[in-house]
Amino acid sequence: MIELVDVVKRYNDFTAVDHVSLKIDKGEKIVIIGPSGSGKTTLLRMINFLETIDSGRVLLEGREAGYRRDKKGRLVMDKQDVICELRSEIGMVFQHFHLFPHMTALHNVMEGPVTVKKQSRGEARRVALDLLGKVGLLDKKDTYPAFLSGGQKQRVAIARALAMKPMLMLFDEPTSALDPELVGEVFTTIKQLAEEGMTMVIVTHQMGFAREMADRVIFMDEGRFILEGVPGDVFSHSMENARVKAFLDKVL
Amino acid sequence: MEVGTKRPGALKGALGLCFFLLLVPAVVLAQPDPYEILASATREANSGDIEGALQTYLKVPAPEPGEDGGAFVRSRMEAAKICFSVADYEQSEALCREILGLFPENLEAGNLIKQVAVAQTPRWLRFLKDMGTYFPTLLRASGMTILLVLITMVVSPVAGLFIALARISRIRSISWFFWCYIWVFRGTPLLLQLFFIYYGLPPLGITLSPFTAAVLGLGLNYSAYLAEIMRGAIESIDAGQMEAAKSLGMTYRQAMRRIIVPQTYKRLVPPVGNEFIALIKDTALVSTIAMVELMRAADQIFNTTFNIFILVQAAMIYLVMTSIFTISFRRLEDRLGVYENR
Repeated sequence: MIELVDVVKRYNDFTAVDHVSLKIDKGEKIVIIGPSGSGKTTLLRMINFLETIDSGRVLLEGREAGYRRDKKGRLVMDKQDVICELRSEIGMVFQHFHLFPHMTALHNVMEGPVTVKKQSRGEARRVALDLLGKVGLLDKKDTYPAFLSGGQKQRVAIARALAMKPMLMLFDEPTSALDPELVGEVFTTIKQLAEEGMTMVIVTHQMGFAREMADRVIFMDEGRFILEGVPGDVFSHSMENARVKAFLDKVL
Repeated sequence: MEVGTKRPGALKGALGLCFFLLLVPAVVLAQPDPYEILASATREANSGDIEGALQTYLKVPAPEPGEDGGAFVRSRMEAAKICFSVADYEQSEALCREILGLFPENLEAGNLIKQVAVAQTPRWLRFLKDMGTYFPTLLRASGMTILLVLITMVVSPVAGLFIALARISRIRSISWFFWCYIWVFRGTPLLLQLFFIYYGLPPLGITLSPFTAAVLGLGLNYSAYLAEIMRGAIESIDAGQMEAAKSLGMTYRQAMRRIIVPQTYKRLVPPVGNEFIALIKDTALVSTIAMVELMRAADQIFNTTFNIFILVQAAMIYLVMTSIFTISFRRLEDRLGVYENR
């Protein structure tokens, strides 16, 4: 469905993502783990163009998307409306939720369809109520984010992303900012989504995601994939790689 | 003795005549000439003997009916003025009434009685009366102040928002142009800007009415200030908000309009409220370019009455206006903050 080919991202002389290729198939659940600063979040943000690539290609259904070359042959991001169109197909959930604080839970979920897809408010409202029900927060529809717990905020954020009916969901450390007792509710929501067949890429420190829902686990370090495979293999092979072992020892 | 014997009646008559001729002047001389008294009193007054002059003036008798009352009126009038000048208002009024008793039409006496009444009114009461007299004028002038404030309040936030967005624009030339604009209008006195617009533009072929010049000056100045406040507020919104909006597929403009700018409203209320309160007071500056508003009206009245309470009154009108603003902005801030958990 979406493919990153040999992508590179540099900040000055620091290479955040170093010649990485990632192919995401429809219905696949990919979990990316690795220590902080390993480039996994940067990689995730490249998928929905929140981060520009310095070199490489992004393919959508086999065709190059989102970038063109300027007169000097450098990669530049496509025109805004093209990028917006692409982004609207890809949902993203952030570590710190980034709900719109001036809108109720319901209006947060309605915002994308109404503003971007120009859906009628009635239709958007129907969809939003449906999704809030799905994440178990129908009773909080008129609540402002400031009055929700972290877990509730993250579930609203998931509903907000789903309201755009994305073909792919990106999760950037969705449980890292939560109190331990609130992790479960968000985890369950994401798992439910996985079971419904949603294509997703999850960047996380939470091994539960890797164990319970991953089709593929990728271990990243220093901007490269150092281990990649089905969960069982990665965990059994992890002991052979000193860095992976050191990281897993820390987080498990 | 023939004559004597012959005309005893004539002798008697002659004696009677002599007596009469002697008596009349005697009586007349004993009764001094009123004009003579008036003249001597005037001399005393001119020589500085006010007390003596007063006594002498009072010696002029009231005329009998049909007699000439000129000296009487003049002397009582002068006496009344002397009494007035030494603040003996009661005596002054009594003398005027004495004149009016005989000559009810006398204008001078009537006017002096009015002046006595005014002089006897306490100072504070006179000031109060002045305030009552000029209050409607001040209120009418406040109308202009309010009009200027309202126009600036509508124009400058709108202009300010666009200037703020232009300042954070990635197009260098636009950003630079508005940086210069803000630099000039925030960096020079409003008074100077008003002078420049009103007196400096006509030689360049642009003549503006005082009102247009005032609106233009206030608008340009306040737009610059509000633009900087708004830019700060926009930049203070967490970058994650823009990312979340983008991740939904919003364009920059949609994200600004729906997500970023609405979140600045509450943060903008306190600093913008301050600016608007400053604006109310800054409108006083346009009095220098021939605009009649509250400050100028108060100044003009003060210059004719020297009644300091006119200025107090103007101050109170300004206070009422600023207080209404303070309270309204407080309420607005509370209302805009409903989504915050405090």
